[in-house]
Amino acid sequence: MNRDFEKRDRDLEERITQDYQRMVKECDLHLEKMDHDLPPLIEPLAEQLESAGISRRSFIKWSAVTTAALMLPPIFKTRLARAAEQFGRVPIVWLHFAECTGCSEAFLRTSYPNVDNLILETLSLEYHETLMAAAGYQAEENLERALHDFAGKFICVIEGALPTGMDGKYLTLGAKGRTGMELAREVTSKAAAVICIGSCSSFGNVQAAKPNPTDAKGISDALGIKTVNIPGCPPNPINFVGTILHYLMFGALPPLDSLGRPIWAYGKRIHDCCERRPHYDAGEFVEEWGDSGAKMGWCLYKVGCKGPYTYANCAKVRFNDGISWPIMAGHGCIGCVEPDFWDTMAPLEKPIAEKTFGGGEKTVDNIGKALAGVTAAGIAVHGVVSFVKRQGQDDIPKTQDEG
Amino acid sequence: MPNFRMKKEWWLSIRLIHWSMVSSVFILLASGFYIAYPISFGAGATADKFCVGNIRTLHTFFGVFLTFLMLWRAYLGIFTKFHATWIDLLSWTNIHKLINQVKFYLLISNKKPKHVYQYAPLQALAYSGLILLQFMIIMTGLIMVGANYHAGLSAFAGNLLKPLEIAMGGLAGVRLIHHIVSWGFIIFIMAHVYMAIWTDIVYKEGTISSMISGRVFRKAD
Repeated sequence: MNRDFEKRDRDLEERITQDYQRMVKECDLHLEKMDHDLPPLIEPLAEQLESAGISRRSFIKWSAVTTAALMLPPIFKTRLARAAEQFGRVPIVWLHFAECTGCSEAFLRTSYPNVDNLILETLSLEYHETLMAAAGYQAEENLERALHDFAGKFICVIEGALPTGMDGKYLTLGAKGRTGMELAREVTSKAAAVICIGSCSSFGNVQAAKPNPTDAKGISDALGIKTVNIPGCPPNPINFVGTILHYLMFGALPPLDSLGRPIWAYGKRIHDCCERRPHYDAGEFVEEWGDSGAKMGWCLYKVGCKGPYTYANCAKVRFNDGISWPIMAGHGCIGCVEPDFWDTMAPLEKPIAEKTFGGGEKTVDNIGKALAGVTAAGIAVHGVVSFVKRQGQDDIPKTQDEG
Repeated sequence: MPNFRMKKEWWLSIRLIHWSMVSSVFILLASGFYIAYPISFGAGATADKFCVGNIRTLHTFFGVFLTFLMLWRAYLGIFTKFHATWIDLLSWTNIHKLINQVKFYLLISNKKPKHVYQYAPLQALAYSGLILLQFMIIMTGLIMVGANYHAGLSAFAGNLLKPLEIAMGGLAGVRLIHHIVSWGFIIFIMAHVYMAIWTDIVYKEGTISSMISGRVFRKAD
C-alpha cells in the first residue's frame, strides 16, 4: 500500500517536473520573441529603480513574491525579472469612462511606491486621459496615431463603466464628442487584449447599482466582448502587473474564471485566507465598532464583513507594499471585486441576514416570521371552525363517487 | 361502528427517509440560524474554541446527508412501482377534484373527493413545492460548501454549479436564497404537521401512526 503511494508521488513529481520544464522552454522562447518584436525601451528599468532608491535586494524580493503570487515555482524568478524589464515596452492605450479615476490614482500616487508601482510608471502609455499633456484635437490625434501604429499589438486598458442608455449619450468624450460606446468599440476592436481595471469596467460598480439610471454596464457586457477583468475598488496593482507579466512571459493571458478574473489572483475567497478567520471559527466577533472584540482583532462578520462571499487575494498580498488591507485595518470586506456588490452585498456594515426588502424592518427573518404567524393563525382558525362544524356530524366524511 | 381493514401504505424505505429528513431538517434549521447569528460558547483562548467551525461542519454533514436522502427518494419515486411515485405528484391536474378538495378543506363541502392518486390534489402541490425547496436549498448549499474547498467532492459540485452561482449574483445572492428557502421549510412543516393531525382526526384512518407502522386503516365497504 505504502509503496503504491510512493510510486504515485514519484510519478506525479515527474509529471510536474516535465510540465515545468516545458513551461520554462515556452517562456524562454516567448521572451526572446518579445525582445525582438517589441519597440525599444525608453529608459531601462534598472536605472529607474536606482533613481527611485529601490535596491537590487528589494527588486529580487519583489520578483520572488510576484512569482509566488502567480503560483509559479522559483525557477521562474529570473524570467519574471526579465519580463519586468520588458514591461515598459508593451504599448498601452488607457481609456477612462464613467468612473472616478481612483484606480489610476491608487496605482500611481502611493506614498510608498514599491516595485509594482514603479513598473506601472514604466508603462509605455500611448494614450492616458489623466496623465497626457495633450488636450482637445491633439489628444484625439495621439489616440488615432497609437491605434494606427500599434494596431493589433497594443493592450487596451479600460477604467470605468459604459453607460449604454440613450444610445450611450450619458457619456461623451473628447473634442469630437464621441460617446463612450463608440470609442470603446473602436479601440477594443484593434487591441491585442482588453484588460479591465477596477470594478467599474469589469462589472459596472456604483454606476450600475440600482436603480442604474444611465443603464451602465461593464465593458464585456456592454460590448459583448471577452475581457480580462481585474476588479477591485481600487484593485491591487500586483494583480494587474502580474497579469501583464504573465502575458509577457508566456504570450498568453493567465487562466481566467467564468467572470474573466485571473484565477491566480481571484481563485480563493477573502474568508479562506483571512488572518481573523480563527476568531470566526471560535465564535469571537466584533459586535459593534470600538468594543473590546474590535480591540482584540476579532472577526468582523457581525459588523458586515463580506469576506465569505468574495473571491480575491487581498488577504495574501495586501495593499501599499504589503502594509495593510481593509480587514487588517479593522473594517470588514465590502466585496468590491464581485459583480453588483453595492446591491448584493448590502447592507455593507451589517450581515446579509439584516438585508431589508423595501426598507424598514423587512428582513428575510421578519418576513418569514410574519408568514409563519399568518400560517399559525390560519391553522388556529381552521382548527376551531373544524371542531365547531364537525360536532354532531357523521364521524367520517363520505367519499364522493365521481369521475 | 364501521369495520376497518388494515392496508399497507408506506414502505419501510419511505418511512426511513421521512424520519431521517425530519431529523436532518430540524438540525439544519437550528444550525443554519446559528450560522446566520453566530455566538460564542464558553470562554477561554481562541485556540481552545471552535464552536462556529464545529456547527458549520455539522450543518454541512447533514446538508450532504439531505442531498443523499433526496437522491434516494428520487430513485424510489422514479424507478420503482410502489406507492407515491412521481405520477402521484400529478394529482392536482384534475382541476375539478382540486376545487372539490379545496372546498372540503375549507369546510364548505362535507364530502371528500375520491382519490385516484396516492396524494390528494393540494397535498401533491405542497409536496412538489417541497421538492423544489429541497432542490434549491441543496444546490445553494452545495455552492457554498464548494466555495470552501479546492479539491474533493464538494469542490467538484461547486465548480459544476459555478454558472448557477453567477446567475444568482455571486455567493451573497446564493446565501440570501438559501436563507429565504429555509423559511419555506418552516412554513411547510407547520402546514404539514397540522394537516396530518387534522386528517388523522377527521378520517380516523391512523394517518399519523402510518408513518411509523406503515399501515393505515380503511373503512371496509
